[in-house]
Amino acid sequence: MRSSAARSRNRFILLMLAPATVLLAGLTLIPFVVSVGFSLTNYSLTAPNDIAFIGLGNYLALFSSSEFWNAAWITVLFTVVAVGLQLVLGVGIAALLHHETRAVSALRLIYLLPMAITPVAAVFTFRMMFNPTLGVFNYILKTMGLPAQDWLGSPTMALVSLILVDSWQWTPFILLIAAGGLAALDEEPLEAARMDGAGPMAIFFQHTLPMLFPYLAVAIVFRSIDAFKTFDIIFVLTNGGPGVATRTLNLLAYKQGIEFLSMGYAAAIAIVMLIVTIVASQLFLRRVDLFKPKAAL
Amino acid sequence: MSKSVLPPKGGLHLPITRRSLLQATAILSGAGILSVHGVPVFASEVFDDIKGQWESAKMDWKRQSGATIVLNGVQHPWMDAITPLVPHFTKLTGIEVKVQTQSESEYIASLPVKLGAKSATPDVYMVWALGQAVTAGWLEPLGPMFADPKLTDLAWWDVDDLFPSTRAYQTWADGNQYVVSVTAEAQTLFANKTMLDEKGLALPKTMDELLATAKALKTDDIAGIAMRAKSGDGATWPAGGFVFSYGGAIIGLDGKVAVDQPEAVAAIDMYGKLLREAGPIGSGNYHWMECLNDFMAGAVAMSSDSSNFATDIGNKDKSAVAGQAIYGGMPTAAGKPAKPNIYNWTIGMNPNAANKDAAFLFLLWATSKPTAAMAAAAGLATQRTSAWKTSAFGERFGKQAVSAVLENLNAADADLMKATWFHAKGPQILDAFGIGVNEVVTGAKDAQSAMTAAAEKMRAAIG
Repeated sequence: MRSSAARSRNRFILLMLAPATVLLAGLTLIPFVVSVGFSLTNYSLTAPNDIAFIGLGNYLALFSSSEFWNAAWITVLFTVVAVGLQLVLGVGIAALLHHETRAVSALRLIYLLPMAITPVAAVFTFRMMFNPTLGVFNYILKTMGLPAQDWLGSPTMALVSLILVDSWQWTPFILLIAAGGLAALDEEPLEAARMDGAGPMAIFFQHTLPMLFPYLAVAIVFRSIDAFKTFDIIFVLTNGGPGVATRTLNLLAYKQGIEFLSMGYAAAIAIVMLIVTIVASQLFLRRVDLFKPKAAL
Repeated sequence: MSKSVLPPKGGLHLPITRRSLLQATAILSGAGILSVHGVPVFASEVFDDIKGQWESAKMDWKRQSGATIVLNGVQHPWMDAITPLVPHFTKLTGIEVKVQTQSESEYIASLPVKLGAKSATPDVYMVWALGQAVTAGWLEPLGPMFADPKLTDLAWWDVDDLFPSTRAYQTWADGNQYVVSVTAEAQTLFANKTMLDEKGLALPKTMDELLATAKALKTDDIAGIAMRAKSGDGATWPAGGFVFSYGGAIIGLDGKVAVDQPEAVAAIDMYGKLLREAGPIGSGNYHWMECLNDFMAGAVAMSSDSSNFATDIGNKDKSAVAGQAIYGGMPTAAGKPAKPNIYNWTIGMNPNAANKDAAFLFLLWATSKPTAAMAAAAGLATQRTSAWKTSAFGERFGKQAVSAVLENLNAADADLMKATWFHAKGPQILDAFGIGVNEVVTGAKDAQSAMTAAAEKMRAAIG
């Protein structure tokens, strides 16, 4: 009787899990396995019948290509600077907005708006605003008597402009998590520090920020993964230029896969990106001990 | 095709109005002489008249009645022009056409997957990169169908009505025909005549004059010239025309990389010099959209780009310089013949299409003289000379522009263009070339080293 009930319960659990499992397998696991398989072949959409197993050939070609290392460097630079900037801005704004007033709640809503806008639509608007001749940014500079800037035309400015657009869109994400973290903080240690005579800056940097760090760690991981595979902003604004100054790994994979139809090589780039993402996030999470239970303060 | 040579899309919506339709119909019914002289002859039953011209073909339009085909294309003036006419094809043939229009990025990402998977649809599609498509076997050879009198009334379809460059364009290296052109555009020099007149300057005829004129026109607020220079394949199309006009090639007719040869290097050196010395700030990030918008806003005095821009430039609703533009032939270099770049958008048939005859009927109809004239009446620069001669098209496009563009279309060397753009590794070749041009324009490299680096990448890609 008991065993029949247990079997029935197990069947029920399996039945309930089946849709999610099928979706996971169909949309994630199978494409991943297929991508790994493709990355070990010379598969090209222009010659699908000539597919051949080439082992690690694509990976060896990739690692011996200066194009790959250049793209990897730009990707890391973009990710580190963009996420770093967003962290500073997000936490700063969250701290400023921490004390609830009517104006603050309205401001918080405004700050969150960039996240709600469709990325491509926003990026096309930025493309017009960055236009050196007709764009609003140079118009403002000119009215202030400052020289017009080549926002997307020089290697350094192009990368800076991309980071600014990414930060405009995603700083609110850090802000949201930081604001949630601040609201959940235990006020007692902060009050104790205040009574001990610590100033607001000292309290923030020595007490609030360390206590906030577990929340920020989650934000850093999410944002870094996202920034690492940024595509739309770069594709629309610079298409990887000037030269190849903003050609990131994701853009390189797009070029190889979608434009050149070299699916095996593109799959190898995607797999390398996946491995880098997993390894980097695991190392970071282990270092911050995010999932280790903390003793009560 | 390469993205860089895309005719303008977003800004060029060409609705077929009743007025333009009436004019086109009238011109067609009024025969060539009347249309050449611009005498409007209005028909009372517009669609019946047009139908009569389609029905005059000695072939059975109803032979696949009841079939359904799928037409897939990018957001483009041709799709805008042809889509409203599709119901007339259905009425004529009894064939239903499902029209699928996608954005450029969506199209180039999804179409190879469909064709690579041997999907039966789309039956007919706008061809993105011809070299890739032919090499991959994604296009049905059309030669045998055109040659079969049971399937085609070739005299009615009138191949001689196509521009010579279009006829060359449609012919693949193996002599077969895999696509049919639906547009014809040529690289054309256009300038703001008011600005030229203010400085007492004329439209330049040579490359040296072009540089001198562009520099003379440049002020703090107005750039002398704007041309595409965006990295990747952004800069390739107009820069290609410069290379050809200097007597060079990107890929030679022998199939070898030629972009590092002196002629090509000199051309790209001039291209970079023009934009560095007389271009707008940020030239290195200009695609066709920036060139067109700046010119229409009066922020740029000259450009060398697609002839298709004429429709928008002359549109008072969109352009602040409507009526002020003057169009000219490609400037020459050191006495060599001008060879402006050209581009034809083409359509082709999926070899796995379920009903190839129905798809072929659509190809014939969509590229026929009456259909081309109807599309031209909406301002579309089609592949047919007869459509270019209609007064309806002249009014939409501008008569002076028509004259200049015809000169450029006739001067173009389709074979030089095809050697690069139709190469099986065309996207890789153009990517390397575009990066090199961008580096020269931004001053990151001199022309010789940029083209040498581009040539090395091309050789590696070609193998």
